[in-house]
Amino acid sequence: MGFQFKYSVVWESVPILLVGVKLTLLLTFFGLLIGFFLGTAAGLGKTSRSRILNKIAGFYIESIRGTPLMVQVMFIYFGLPMALNTRIPPLVAGAVAIALNSGAYIAEIVRGAIQSIDKGQTEAGRSIGLTRFQALLYVIWPQAFKRMIPPLGNQFIISLKDTSLLVVIGVGELTRTGQEIIAVNFRAFEVWTSVALIYLVMTLSLSKVLSFTEKKLEIRA
Amino acid sequence: MIKIKELHKSFGPLEVLKGIDLHIKPGEVVVIIGPSGSGKSTLLRCINRLEETTSGTIIVDGYDINDTSTNINFIRSETGMVFQQFNLFPHMTALRNVTLGPVKVRKVSRTEANKIGMELLVRVGLEDKANAYPDQLSGGQKQRVAIARSLALNPKVMLFDEPTSALDPELVGEVLEVMKTLATDGMTMVVVSHEMGFAREVADRAIFMDDGVVVEENTPETFFMRPQNERTKAFLRMVL
Ligand SMILES: Nc1ncnc2c1ncn2[C@@H]1O[C@H](COP(=O)(O)OP(=O)(O)OP(=O)(O)O)[C@@H](O)[C@H]1O
Ligand SMILES: [Mg+2]
Repeated sequence: MGFQFKYSVVWESVPILLVGVKLTLLLTFFGLLIGFFLGTAAGLGKTSRSRILNKIAGFYIESIRGTPLMVQVMFIYFGLPMALNTRIPPLVAGAVAIALNSGAYIAEIVRGAIQSIDKGQTEAGRSIGLTRFQALLYVIWPQAFKRMIPPLGNQFIISLKDTSLLVVIGVGELTRTGQEIIAVNFRAFEVWTSVALIYLVMTLSLSKVLSFTEKKLEIRA
Repeated sequence: MIKIKELHKSFGPLEVLKGIDLHIKPGEVVVIIGPSGSGKSTLLRCINRLEETTSGTIIVDGYDINDTSTNINFIRSETGMVFQQFNLFPHMTALRNVTLGPVKVRKVSRTEANKIGMELLVRVGLEDKANAYPDQLSGGQKQRVAIARSLALNPKVMLFDEPTSALDPELVGEVLEVMKTLATDGMTMVVVSHEMGFAREVADRAIFMDDGVVVEENTPETFFMRPQNERTKAFLRMVL
């Protein structure tokens, strides 16, 4: 007898998977929230005239971009606590990993957007007496932010999917929940199909929200 | 109002300003002309320190602008600058462009700033464009908003860097009109421009710059009718 797709498995699994979805969304949200601040700080550091800030931001960005996320997760959850002689809850370690990781990529987005704004804008701002910071805040940032939205959206989607890597530290997010269900019912095909579809729904919704935001902001050039 | 002494400016190995001495009295209108690359923009940009000077002194309204104790943001707010490319803030309406300085630099209330802003837009003939964004304005209108934006800080000096050279010919007049009114009202102005008509009508002095030095300066009448220096003569023959 050939393989038979059991729809009942899907209906039974989905409610349990949704519990995992909650954690996936939570991790994505907090990871990106902190990642956005980190990324903005590092991106500004990269564009700043201070050599030290430049170096620090550069070191952070390069070390994150140059190592696999998996290794970063393990380092934060297993490595760091050992050196510091503490324990970190998996959920916290996971959010920190997502934040640190997305922050480095967001930094490059921020830097690129800021540097893409015509120098004449800063000069016009400074020439009416704005300080460097005021010119950044009122003149450059609003224009740069608009340009950041598409690449930021891309990064949000990547980070959402990246949370699935947190299975390695036992965070009960969506992928982990899928594994646990399979351990009981052995229906790998149905469960992974369900898991994949749920990820797809989340990423597509995120895309929609982002392109809507982009359009809203585009009304004014 | 402006005293420039022995001003030198280099970009790396390239010396762009090779010892400029220039005094500008309050209320004076000075027009600077000269070939491309002669350092006209660089000179203006040194006056409000958008470029750091390499050596020499620049005194604006009694303040040595390169002195570390001078508040450069304050000096800049007293020194309006109008750019060839307008450089309006594209994400703000015309009125917001004009009021940003009063609100953020002068710390004036929003209501007060709007009042100042509207008065200035009336002055440049654009009161009906207060809520338009820069991309809805013509080049001439943009430049008039840019002038209003500088005036909003009540500057003591206005610097103009080729304010009409990015404009279609038919839009040049409206900008020059605004500048003429400013000059008549007693504003101290340094204008880099090849608009001879403007120079002859309102300037007190015309200066010819070439290769980083002031080659010749005179009243516009003499300057254009009887230039003394050979380089000035050759240049005027070319542009007139
Ligand atoms: N930031 C800079 N870095 C390096 N070189 C510069 C810089 N700004 C200007 N220069 C050089 O300095 C010289 C003088 O430039 P400047 O813009 O002052 O000339 P200008 O007289 O205003 O010319 P134009 O009529 O074309 O505007 C040019 O050779 C220019 O290439
Ligand atoms: Mg120039």
